[in-house]
Amino acid sequence: MKRDDRFVSDEFLHAFVDDQLDAAEKSQAFDAIGHDDTLKERVCELRGLKEMMKHAYAHPPTRVPAVKGRRSRASYLQALAACLLLCIGGASGWFAHVWTGVGSDREMARLLQSVQRNDIGGEPQKLIVHVSSSNPVRLKSALDETESLLDAYRRTNRPLQVEIIANGGGVDLLRADVSPYAKRIGMMQEKYPNLGFMACGQTIKKLREKGVDVQLLPHTGVASSALDQITRRLKQDWVYIKV
Amino acid sequence: MKILSLFSRSHGFHDQLQQSRVRLYRVAYSWSHDAALADDLVQETLSKALKNHGQLREPEMLNSWLFSILTNCWRDHFRQQREMEDIEEIEDYRCVHETTPEDEHAQTQIVGRVRGAVARLALGQRQVLTLVDLEEFSYVEVAAILEIPVGTVMSRLCRARRALKEMLQELAPVHSAQVSHIRRVK
Repeated sequence: MKRDDRFVSDEFLHAFVDDQLDAAEKSQAFDAIGHDDTLKERVCELRGLKEMMKHAYAHPPTRVPAVKGRRSRASYLQALAACLLLCIGGASGWFAHVWTGVGSDREMARLLQSVQRNDIGGEPQKLIVHVSSSNPVRLKSALDETESLLDAYRRTNRPLQVEIIANGGGVDLLRADVSPYAKRIGMMQEKYPNLGFMACGQTIKKLREKGVDVQLLPHTGVASSALDQITRRLKQDWVYIKV
Repeated sequence: MKILSLFSRSHGFHDQLQQSRVRLYRVAYSWSHDAALADDLVQETLSKALKNHGQLREPEMLNSWLFSILTNCWRDHFRQQREMEDIEEIEDYRCVHETTPEDEHAQTQIVGRVRGAVARLALGQRQVLTLVDLEEFSYVEVAAILEIPVGTVMSRLCRARRALKEMLQELAPVHSAQVSHIRRVK
């Protein structure tokens, strides 16, 4: 900000009052004000105006409630309410998806049922079910739906092949010492030879590196990685369902 | 952990919005001198901020960003209310009210007088003056919020304060004979 020594511009004084000057300019300003009473008066006046502004708007009046006939305000409020609802809905959906998996289970059930209904052709249905969470609710739902599907196909004599691939937390489903459904899985394997269980080799490797002793349930295969297995199956025209 | 940090971030954002509400309202009121309209503008601003908070790249710029939204909402309000061909005209639009925003008797009080004077300033000047004086934004920030050059901010501010000073003198209550008895004694 340039300043003529003989004349101090209004802009310069305003910038001084608003604390917009750098250190050197501020020194110049103090120097000039110290030697000139008129400048001092102008600065005082500006500071007074600034204070007056703050004082005038320190407590602005609030809106009088229940004023009729202002459509725009109602629409603003509605927009805000809708926005808040959207946020709440979105957040709860997100957490439900992450923590309980209920939404995801429903989705899976829907997918499985649609598979069941649409299988009219003679080709055997091939499904790969991907479990990546150790949430017991989700694990149970995956087993329930798979079992009911296998059962339905068996009753109608239709061919079906299902492979459940587990990685991440989902590997817990297939660990002999951890799985809450070890016995059930054993029974399902016995009952349905067309059902296979695979665990992700990478996850097991990582667990072992951490010092965890991983013992899988009997008749459980190990894929090099879940991703590899899923890709392979997709190339073979399997239907992929993520739990 | 990622989810939790996302949650806490969004929680923090809501808190910050809540805290900014009073400041936004103060400025919106100083622009409109209408409590209901100011409230609407703030609601709209917060609603837009909530919807678009992903656009805010630097959290420390939150305040300037919110006031930019408020400025846009204010412009939109004028677009709806007044069919002006050139929107730039509103910068020089002078809201002259037959009655000042405060009641007539409030004119004798300093608060009413200042508000009345600010209400009579050209809108462009009013915006700059209130952002600098009430919110203590720097000239550069005000320029960014209102999307005008810094030089314009400075010149508008000078004109606004000059006009304000003159108007406050005009609006000053007429001293009665009794008051004129008081004299300064050195």
